Amino acid sequence: MDVIRRLRGSNNEGVLALVLVGFIVAMSIANPTFFTLNTGFSILRSSIVPVIFALGVLIVVVTGGIDVSFAAIAIFAGYATVSFCLNMGFDPGILGIFAIAVGVGSLLGLINGIVIARFNLPTLIVTLGTQGVFFGAMYTYVGAQYYAELPGSMAALATSNLLDVTTSAGRAYLHVLVVPVLLLCVLVAWVLKRTMFGRSLYAIGGDIEAARRAGFLVKRTQVWVYVMVGALAAVAGIVHIVLSRSANPRDLVGGELDIIAAVVLGGASIFGGRGSVIGTVLGVLLVQVIKNSLLLVGVPSAWLRTAVGILLVLGVGIQAVAARRDSRQKRVIDEVDAEQKHEEKVES
Amino acid sequence: MSSDTVSLVPSPVVSANGIFKSFGGVPALVDVSIDLIPGEVHCLAGENGCGKSTLIKIISGVERPDSGEILIDGVSHSHINANAAIKSGIQVIYQDFSLFPNLTVAENIVLTAEVARRRRLYSPASVRPKAEEILRDLGLDLDLDREVSELSVADKQLTAICRALVNDARAIIMDEPTTALTHSEVSRLFALVERLRARGVALMFVSHKLEEVLAISQRLTIMRSGRQIVTGPTTDFDERSISHYMTGREVDESRVVSELDATAPLALELVDLSLAGAYRNISFGLRRGEILGVTGLLGSGRTEIAESLFGVTPADEGQIKVNGAPVRIRSIQDAVSAGIGYVPEDRLSQGLFLEKSIADNIVASSLRSHRTRWGTLSRDAIASTIKHYFHGLKINARNAQAPVRTLSGGNAQRVVLAKWLATSPTVLLLNGPTVGVDVGSKQEILELLRVEAAKGMSVIVISDDAPELVSSCHRVLVIKQGRLTHILEGDEITVDTIQERMSA
Amino acid sequence: MSPDTKVRNGASGASALLPRVNDQLESWTQRLVRGSGAHRGAGRMVVALLIAFALFTALNPRVFLSPINLQNIAVAAPEIGIISIAMMLVMLTGGIDLSLVAIANFSAITISMLHNTIAASDPALANSLGIVIVLAGIVVGMLGGAVNGFLVSVVGITPILATLATMQIYNGMAIVWTGGTTLYGAPQLLATIGQTAVANAPLLFIIFLAVAVLIAILVNRTALGRMIQLEGANPVAARYSAIPRRAVLMKTYTYGGMLAGLAGVLFLARNPTASADYGASYVLLVIVIAVLGGTNPTGGFASVTGVVLATLTLQVVSSGFTAIRLSSYEYAIAQGVILIAVMILDAVSSTRARRQKKVASAPRSDVPTPETALPRA
Repeated sequence: MDVIRRLRGSNNEGVLALVLVGFIVAMSIANPTFFTLNTGFSILRSSIVPVIFALGVLIVVVTGGIDVSFAAIAIFAGYATVSFCLNMGFDPGILGIFAIAVGVGSLLGLINGIVIARFNLPTLIVTLGTQGVFFGAMYTYVGAQYYAELPGSMAALATSNLLDVTTSAGRAYLHVLVVPVLLLCVLVAWVLKRTMFGRSLYAIGGDIEAARRAGFLVKRTQVWVYVMVGALAAVAGIVHIVLSRSANPRDLVGGELDIIAAVVLGGASIFGGRGSVIGTVLGVLLVQVIKNSLLLVGVPSAWLRTAVGILLVLGVGIQAVAARRDSRQKRVIDEVDAEQKHEEKVES
Repeated sequence: MSSDTVSLVPSPVVSANGIFKSFGGVPALVDVSIDLIPGEVHCLAGENGCGKSTLIKIISGVERPDSGEILIDGVSHSHINANAAIKSGIQVIYQDFSLFPNLTVAENIVLTAEVARRRRLYSPASVRPKAEEILRDLGLDLDLDREVSELSVADKQLTAICRALVNDARAIIMDEPTTALTHSEVSRLFALVERLRARGVALMFVSHKLEEVLAISQRLTIMRSGRQIVTGPTTDFDERSISHYMTGREVDESRVVSELDATAPLALELVDLSLAGAYRNISFGLRRGEILGVTGLLGSGRTEIAESLFGVTPADEGQIKVNGAPVRIRSIQDAVSAGIGYVPEDRLSQGLFLEKSIADNIVASSLRSHRTRWGTLSRDAIASTIKHYFHGLKINARNAQAPVRTLSGGNAQRVVLAKWLATSPTVLLLNGPTVGVDVGSKQEILELLRVEAAKGMSVIVISDDAPELVSSCHRVLVIKQGRLTHILEGDEITVDTIQERMSA
Repeated sequence: MSPDTKVRNGASGASALLPRVNDQLESWTQRLVRGSGAHRGAGRMVVALLIAFALFTALNPRVFLSPINLQNIAVAAPEIGIISIAMMLVMLTGGIDLSLVAIANFSAITISMLHNTIAASDPALANSLGIVIVLAGIVVGMLGGAVNGFLVSVVGITPILATLATMQIYNGMAIVWTGGTTLYGAPQLLATIGQTAVANAPLLFIIFLAVAVLIAILVNRTALGRMIQLEGANPVAARYSAIPRRAVLMKTYTYGGMLAGLAGVLFLARNPTASADYGASYVLLVIVIAVLGGTNPTGGFASVTGVVLATLTLQVVSSGFTAIRLSSYEYAIAQGVILIAVMILDAVSSTRARRQKKVASAPRSDVPTPETALPRA
C-alpha cells in the first residue's frame, strides 16, 4: 500500500506520468514517425515557454489564488525590453536583457500583489482587470510595431543548440534554453519544499486564517508571490521572443488557458494548498504531447483549442468525481464498524 | 519547570488584573481578574456570550483591554500583542484548531515554531525529530506523515496540542476543547491535560459543561454577562452551584410535558433502519404531537440517524414510514417533500444565510408554496408568513430586513425554526436545539416546541443536554454504538438516568 | 485579447431622437432605482453614468452628443448588456461563466451558417424561415449553457475551470466550423430588427430592457430566483434548506447560455457577420460590468438595474473615448482601472462599515461569536 501511495505521488503525479507514457506508447504504435528524436526535441522546445509560465501559475495556485495576467506581463516585459534596446541602439548582453525584463515584470507583478493583498480582493477578477491594463498600456505607451530583428545577443541565443543530432529522420536540435528552464524548475521546487517561504505558500493555501494565527506574514507573502509570477512571466516573455526570433506584441496573450489547464492537470488544486513542480511539468508535457500528436495524426490545428478544453474537462472532471467518492467513503467510522463486527461475532 | 519542588503556590505565568473592556460603550468585561498558575488547570465557565471569548482574546493579545493590566511573569503590561504573547509562551488552542489540512501532522506540529524562530529554510529531516520528541513525551501515537485532512477530530486536536508544546508553551488556553469529541476521546484528552499539568504547564480550560469542569480543574472562575461571579477551588463547587452561578438561577428538573393521546396515529415509523458504519437496526415509532428525545454520546450514531431521516446520508437498509405510508428518502428534497424538517447542529453554516435578511431566511425552504398562479412569488403571502413567524416566535430584531448575522444565538435559532415551521412539517428534527443559546431563550425555544407539538407536529430532539430532554420529552431513546439500547418513558426520564444510560 | 476592429453602424438611419431617448432613459432609470429599493450598485451607477455623460459632453460635445453617437450607444449596449446580465446571473450563484462570449459567437455562427446554407438553394425560403433559424441559434446557446450546467452541477467541476474549458471548446469548434473566416449573411428578419426604432428608441435597446425586466422578475419574484440567491449566499445552508442545488445550477447556467445565444442574435442584428473571435475583449468587459453593477463576485447579491446602468456607463465611456480620440487599447486600460478602483472602493467602504457595525453591535451580551459555532470536521 505504502509503495503504491508513494508511487502515486501526493498529487497523483504517478498517475499523470503513467498517462503520459501510455499516450506516447500509443501514439508511437499508431504512427511510427511520432517516436523520433525530432518529435521529442520539438516537444521539449515547444514546452520551454509554457513550463516557465506554469511555474508562475503553480506558485499562485498553491496559495489559493489565480493569475490570468501573466501572459500580458510576459509580452509587456519582453516586448518593452526589446523595443527599448532596439530604439536606444544598445545591447546589454543576454543577461542584461533578462535583468531589465525581470525588473519590468516584477514591477507589474507588484501591482497585482499590492492590489490583491492590501484590499483582499478576488484574484481572478483583479488579474483580469490588470491584464487589460497591462496589455492596453503596452500598445498605447510602448508600441505596436513588429520587430523582425532582435538585439544581437538575443539573436545569437536564438540559434544556439545544446544538442545537434543527425538521425535517419534528419537533424534534430535541442535548444540550449532547455537547460536554464530545468534549473528554474529545480529552483522553484527547492523554494516550495525547502524554504519557509515555500511552506508558507502551502500553509496560506491550506487555511489562510490559520496561517495568520501561526504568525506567517500573509499579506507580505502574497505580494511576493505575484512579484515572482511577474518575474517568471518576464523570463518567459524574453525566452518566447528569442525562440520565435521576433518580437510580436500580439503573441502569448490568449494562451493563458493552456497553461492553467496544464497546471491543474498536473495536480494543483484551484482551491489552493496542493501542487508540485513535477506534476506541473508533467501537465505541460502532456498538453504539448497531445497537441503535437494530434497534428501528426492529421487533426487540423483548429481543433487544438477544443482538444485542450476537452482534456481539461476530463482531467478536472475525473478529479472532481473521485474527490466526491472519497468524501462519501470517509463517512464510515472504522471504530464503530469494528465494534459492530465484534458484537456480531459474540452473538453468533 | 520545577513545580514539584515548590511547596508554596508558584507565581502565575500570566495574570490579568482588573480588566475592563467595552465595545461601543457597552461593557463586555467588567473588572475581571484571573491567574494562570503553573501546574494548575483553571476552568473558565460561563454561558455563551458571558465574555469568555473576549477574555481569551485579551490574554492572548488579540484584543486590547480598555483598562487593567496583564502580568507576564510578574511584569506588568497595559496590553500585549499576539506575537509577544506567543513569545512569552502563551498558546491558545482554538475551537477550530487552526491547522493546515493540506500539510502533514509533522509539518503542522513544527511549522509555527519555525516561523517564530524566523527560519528561512525548512528541512523536513531536521524538524521531524522535534515532532517525534513531543509525541514520545506525551505518549501519543499519531502518524506524522498523514495529512491533517485525513485525521479524526480528536487526532486533529492532539495535533494542535502538540503544536502548542513545540512552541514551549508555559500557558495553554483551550477553548471549548471537548465540543467535537466522543466520550473516550474526552477521557484521553483529560489524561493528557493531567500530564501537561504534571509538567508544570499552566492550563486554562474554557467550557460550559459542568461535569467536565468538575472533573478536570483545580480552580474555577465563573463568569456571567461580562462579570466575574466567583473564583475558587473547584472542590468548593458542585454541579448545582456551578449551574446556579452560571445562570443566576436554580436548575430546573421539572418536566413540562403534556399528556399524550395514546391512540394518536404514528407520524413517523422506522423499521430496522441501518447505515453501515453508523447505526444498525433502529426501529421506533413517533406519535402525532409527541416530543421524542434521542440521546447518546457523540459518535454514538444519534446525529447520523437524524441525518439519514433528513436525507443527508441516506440509510442503507430498512424502512421509513411517514403517516403510515412508506417513503423513500435518498435526498434532502425527498425528506422535505415527505414532511420532515431538520434544524441542524451547526446552525451558523448549515442552518442560516448569515448575510441575508431574516425575511429571506424564513421563507428559504418554503418558496414553492408561496407561488401565485403564474409561478411568480406572491409578495402578500410571503409578507404574511414572515410577519406571522417574526412576531410569533418573538424574534428580537429591529425588523425582518436585518441580516441574520446581527442576531444573537437564541434569535438566530428562532429564525431556523421559523424556516422549518413555514414548511408545516409532519416531523421536525432538531439537533442540539439550544446549543449556544442563552438560558432565557432556551426555555422559550423548548416552549415553542411544546406549542407546535400540541398543534399536532411531531418533534424529535437530538441532544446530550439531559435537563433539556427531561424538561420537554415524552420519551427518550438512548443510542449507544449505533444501536438503540434504551427507551425511557414517564418517571424514568430524569437527568441521572439519562446520563447513566448514555455512558453505561 | 484582440480588440474589436469591426465597425458597427447598424443604426445610422435614425435621426434627432436623442433628447427623447435621454428623457426616457432617465425616467426609466429613476423608476427602476426607486422600485428596487436603490440597491447600492444601482445607486452608485446612476451617479457614475451622469458623471461619465457630463464629462464627455464637456470634453467634446460636438462629437459625443451627435445623434449618431448616441444612437450607437443605444445600439451597441444591448449585446454587451445581455451577456453582462447572464454573467450576473451566474455570479449570483457564486460561480462565473467565461464561456458566454464564445457561446454568443457560436449562436451567431449557427444562425449565419443555417441561413447561408438554406439561402444557397432558396433565398426566399431562408428568409421565411428566419424565426426558426434565429430560434435555432438561441437553442444552441441554451445547449452550450446546459453543458456548463452539467459540468458544474453534476460532475462537480469548479465553475471557473469548467467554463474556461468550455470557452475553449466552443471557440475551437467555431473556428473549425467557420474555417477561421468571417461569415456574411443573416436572415432579413434580423436586419429589420437591427434597424427598427420604436418611438425613436432602437428596437435592440427595447429588447435589452425587456430582457432586463424579465431577468429582474426571475431573480426577485420567482422561487428559482430566490434559490439562486440563497445558493450563492451559502451553499451549505442552501443544501440543508432543501434547495435543489443541481437543478438550480443547471437552470442558471442554461439561462445564462440562452441569454448569450440571444446576444449572438443581436450581434447579427447589428451587422450580418459572424466569426469565432468576435468580441474577445467582451470577456473582461462583461465581468467589469457585472461587478460595477453591484454583483458580489462571491455570490448571493446582485442587481439587474445596477448591471443595466453599468452597461450604459461603460458604453458611454467607450464612445466618449472614441469622441476624444482615444484608442480601444486605452479603453481596455480604462476598463481594468475602473474594475479595480470600484473593487477597492467597495472593500474600503465595507471594512469601514463592518468596523462601525462591530462597535454598534458588540455590546449585546450574546452576539454570535465563534463560540456559538460548532465546528464539525
